[in-house]
Amino acid sequence: MAPKKEPAKKKETTATASASAASTASTTTTTASASVTKKAKVPTTTTGPKTGAVTSSAGSDGTKVVTKQKKEKVKTTALKAKQRAMRGNQLTRKRKIRTTPTFRRPFTLRLQRTPKYPRRSVPKRNRLDHFAIIKYPLTTESAMKKIEDNNTLVFIVNIRANKPSIKAAVKKMYDVDAEKINTLIRPDGEKKAYVRLKADHDALDVANRIGII
Amino acid sequence: MTRIKCTDLRGKKPDDLQKQLEDLRQELNVLRVGKVTGSGGAAKLSKIRSVRKSIARVLIVTHQTTKENLRKLYHGKKFKPKDLRPKKTRAIRRLLTRKEKSIRSAKTKRKQWAFPRRVYGVKA
Repeated sequence: MAPKKEPAKKKETTATASASAASTASTTTTTASASVTKKAKVPTTTTGPKTGAVTSSAGSDGTKVVTKQKKEKVKTTALKAKQRAMRGNQLTRKRKIRTTPTFRRPFTLRLQRTPKYPRRSVPKRNRLDHFAIIKYPLTTESAMKKIEDNNTLVFIVNIRANKPSIKAAVKKMYDVDAEKINTLIRPDGEKKAYVRLKADHDALDVANRIGII
Repeated sequence: MTRIKCTDLRGKKPDDLQKQLEDLRQELNVLRVGKVTGSGGAAKLSKIRSVRKSIARVLIVTHQTTKENLRKLYHGKKFKPKDLRPKKTRAIRRLLTRKEKSIRSAKTKRKQWAFPRRVYGVKA
C-alpha cells in the first residue's frame, strides 16, 4: 500500500512547491481525508504528511515531507531485512533428519462428508417398532399360572426382537416396568418372551387391562 | 368402522395421518389379543383384515405425499437423490443422451450442409 500512496504524495508535494500555501493545505487535507476514508491503515501514515502539510504552509517544509517519506520507505526495507534475518531465508529448506528406516504415512487432512444430495430421498422407516415387536400375549394354562404365581406376562414376540427392545416395547404399549425378561424360540419358529414385572405392578391387573384372563 | 378411503386420507395433514396410523395399529393389537383369547367371534376376526388394509392405505398415502413433495423440492436441481431420478434400466441410464448423440463436428456439419443427400426423379 505504501508504494501506491507515494505517487499521490509526491504529486501533492509538487503542488505545494508550485501553488500557494493555503490552497495546497486545503488540497493536501482533502486528499488526506479521502485516503483516510479508504482504509484504517492509512491514517497512521497520513498523519505524517498531514502534519508535514500543516508545516508546509510555511513553504520551506515541502522538502521535509519528502525526506519523511523516504525515511519511512527506508525504514520499512530495513525492517523487512531484519525480519528476514530473524526467521531465516525460507527459500532454502532444511532437510528433515530421519532416524528410522521405515517411512510411515504422515497424518493428512481428513474431511467430513458433505454430500451434494442424499442418496435416499426418504430415510427408511423402522419396521421393527413396538407395535411389530409384540405380536400377542399367550393365554395357555401354563401362561396363566405364570401370571398368578410369578407376576409375569407371556408374549409371543417378533423373532428379530431382543430383550431390551422387548422391555421397551412392553413399557410403551402397556405402561409397565419389567424386572427381567427371558426369551426362547419355540419349535414352530416363534419367539416367546416371559416378562417378569416389577413388584409394584400386578400381573393380574395388567392382564385384565390387556384383555387376557 | 366405516371403510377408510384413500381419497379421504389424501386431504389430511401428516400429523393427523400419523395419529390415525397409531390408532389403527392399537386396534389391530387388541383384535389380535381377542383372536388368541377366543373372544369376539366371526365379526371381530374378519375385522382384522380390514384394519390391516386400512393401515396399508394410510402408509401408502403418507409415503406418496412425502415423495411428491420431495420431487417438487428437487425439481430442476442438478443433483437429486437417486430414487427420484428416472429408473428405466441400468443400461439405458448409461447410454449417451439425445443431445450427446446429436453432436457433430464442424467438419461434418459443413459437409452435410455443402453436400446434402439429393433426391432425383425420372421425368416421365
